[in-house]
Amino acid sequence: MRKVIKSLALGVLATSISTGALAADRYPERDITNVVVWSAGGGTDVVNRMISAEMAKFLDVNINVTNRPGGVAGSLGMSYVHRKRADGYTLVGLSESVVGSAVQGGWNQKMDVWYPFIVGGSPDLISVSAKSKYNTLEELIADVKKNPRSIKASAGGAGSIHHLNLLALMNGTGAEFNYIPYPGSAPAQTAVMTGEVELVITSLAEQQQLIKGGNLKPLAMLVANDQELEGFGTIPSAFKAYPSLEKYLPIMQAIGLAVRQDAPDNVKQKLTTAFQKAIATPTIQKWAQDNFYVLSGLTGAAASKEFAFLESLFSWTLHDLGAAKVIPSKLGIPKPSELN
Amino acid sequence: MDILASFSVFGSTLLTLLSSPTNLIILLGASFAGIIFGALPGLTATLGVALLTTLTYGMDVNTALIALLGLYVGAIYGGSYPSILINIPGTAAAAATALDGYPLACKGEGGRALGLTTTASLIGTLLGILVLVIASPTVARMALEFTSFEFFLLALFGILISGTITSSDLVVKGWIAGLIGLAVSTIGRDPLQFFPRFTFDMPDLDQGLEVVPVLIGAFGIPQVIKALRNKESLGAMQQFGRILPEWRTLFKNRNNIARSSMIGIGIGSVPGIGEDIAGWVSYGTTKNTSKHPETFGTGEPEGIIASETANNASIGGALIPLLTLGIPGSPPAAMLLGALMLHGITPGPMVVVETPDFLIEVTAILVLCSFAMWINGMFLAKQVVKVLRIPAAIFLPVVTLMCILGSYALGLNIFNLYMMMLVGIVAYFLNEMKYPISPLVIGVILGPMADENLRRALMVSEGSFMPFIERPVSIFLLSVIILIMMTKLPKYPKYKAALVKLLGLNRLFKAKGE
Repeated sequence: MRKVIKSLALGVLATSISTGALAADRYPERDITNVVVWSAGGGTDVVNRMISAEMAKFLDVNINVTNRPGGVAGSLGMSYVHRKRADGYTLVGLSESVVGSAVQGGWNQKMDVWYPFIVGGSPDLISVSAKSKYNTLEELIADVKKNPRSIKASAGGAGSIHHLNLLALMNGTGAEFNYIPYPGSAPAQTAVMTGEVELVITSLAEQQQLIKGGNLKPLAMLVANDQELEGFGTIPSAFKAYPSLEKYLPIMQAIGLAVRQDAPDNVKQKLTTAFQKAIATPTIQKWAQDNFYVLSGLTGAAASKEFAFLESLFSWTLHDLGAAKVIPSKLGIPKPSELN
Repeated sequence: MDILASFSVFGSTLLTLLSSPTNLIILLGASFAGIIFGALPGLTATLGVALLTTLTYGMDVNTALIALLGLYVGAIYGGSYPSILINIPGTAAAAATALDGYPLACKGEGGRALGLTTTASLIGTLLGILVLVIASPTVARMALEFTSFEFFLLALFGILISGTITSSDLVVKGWIAGLIGLAVSTIGRDPLQFFPRFTFDMPDLDQGLEVVPVLIGAFGIPQVIKALRNKESLGAMQQFGRILPEWRTLFKNRNNIARSSMIGIGIGSVPGIGEDIAGWVSYGTTKNTSKHPETFGTGEPEGIIASETANNASIGGALIPLLTLGIPGSPPAAMLLGALMLHGITPGPMVVVETPDFLIEVTAILVLCSFAMWINGMFLAKQVVKVLRIPAAIFLPVVTLMCILGSYALGLNIFNLYMMMLVGIVAYFLNEMKYPISPLVIGVILGPMADENLRRALMVSEGSFMPFIERPVSIFLLSVIILIMMTKLPKYPKYKAALVKLLGLNRLFKAKGE
């Protein structure tokens, strides 16, 4: 009996070694799981479901999307995937807002443990109430420069990507707004409609209905390009009137997915190819256009660089706001000015 | 779109949905699952909708909506089961139902209480839907009158009114309990500036107290301790009463039902809060306007009807700002927003323009869901009452286990269990000293809202308190709060008599029978 067990065990061992060596070549042999760190129905979840479905067609296996929200800024999902083997069968669906997880005490890893694929995000813009007296960004900035902090601004929660956009706008134009924090984008936008604050900075995807419905009046895009909006017209880029903004903006959402950085090279290669093919499909292109997303398509080193930039920016801003539990330099996160 | 066209869309949607057996099964199944979610302490409507959202990804929009709305409606209703049967509310929304539901069950009329609840919930939901269809734009405009000042006053009002109506001896005890809850809710990092308050450097306290373990601890643990002490079952009773709808009782309560559903819809439509306090406010209003307020809390059907109509009516209310402005009116509605986005629908002012039939389809689905809830409820009520026949030796450990599971399931955090036990023991002693527990829980639920909004309001007004008396809604809420507090002063009847005499209004008040 013992002999049988021994030979069985040896057999299993032998197969697992040989499959281990060959596994990377034959990747993917079975279904892949994409663990999204935010809850179902959120922007990150929807994007990951779309792109996973398209990538699956080029990889010839299913990609099952599951959600594992919770922890601090997505830390639960990230540590779950990070504990899994680096074989490319477990991916993580994430967004730029997870980069602050480490300094907020969520986990103790930097973003460089991931090999990311960035689908894109919706650009931020600055809007006022439809009833507001301001019609251009220049009028608004000129007014607040006369009386610094006299105009109230909302931009989602403190330390959110929209707040970072507001801070960048203030740095780039020299205007000083009175920032009022709200728990999220929806309450921040509502605050403009009720007249509690004068202006709001959130993403185009979040604002488009209210703009078309005549509740909000957009002043400027906080990215380099103008934006066409059906039913409204052209929203000009803020960069034209204030070229100095280029130094601070754009700070764009980076929604996408990632595999462990220490996964085998050809696994990363296969995923990259599938990702690039998927993002070029008409389904994704049309979806992005309909939902006011700007596609990025960055992978590998370029995507890692983008995440390193966001990580540095978020971490140090959270530190300045007093919201960081860990000093970013302790984790080896450089200041934005130290990045090349 | 004219009314006739709306009706034909409504009818055809109903027919298409009903003609598919899959839809019917999903409808009844989701509604059943919702009731179970509501009935189990710790599982809430919000959690249910969140979990179900993932499963609906492959379905078409209407089927997904049937599942999600069916669960939502069922869960708001299901919370009343444990409230009535064992005095432990399944969800915060059903806490007010326990005040009269449990005494009624103790009198041996548990079946009657459940029957009333079921039909009141149905009527509440339907009235909510009616307002959703005919008055959406008006109600949505009203919701935009609420700024940080009004949110603060509304939260304060919720805490005060639950304190006023639950104290058995001194009103001030209810308010003290509410203030304890308010104080406890400030634990954690403050949401505006991240400053850690009362966290004692414990990472678990950083996010503040979770509502679910507090809710379960405060209501569940004292109930179990009491039952152990008195060596009895949680709700000893032999007869169950009739479950069939009592049309006569309901008809007698038509004013109550109309008022309660309006309160429910109004509170549901204010962004950010919902079912949780709708039940309290309408219970309080009904008690204060009743000719016999002293019978409330002793098994008064009017009280059950008031709270159950209101919490279900707030579903329709919560959907109004969601579908017209893209702002969710309650926590489960916020989850619903996510689910709609998943199916490529962005709710907002353009929904009416881009897909004009959408609102009517939602209405049709909601109507189906409320009837599914009613049918399920009528069958279930008869069965769940039987749990009280289970001997205490088996039932108590099961209830305790449910409390523990419910607290742990949320976030899988062992710390929440310690929290639940601690809250439970404190709540037991408060109970013994005749302090009501509900205001404490409401304080924990509404505390963050009161705290955050007051401080934001003062940031907006640059430290001035004047907007409190400069804004119409704010003045109204403030006067109601002051009035409530004044009527509870010991010398109030004397003052009132003097005032009535002074103004020569004797006859008016006599005529009204006061």
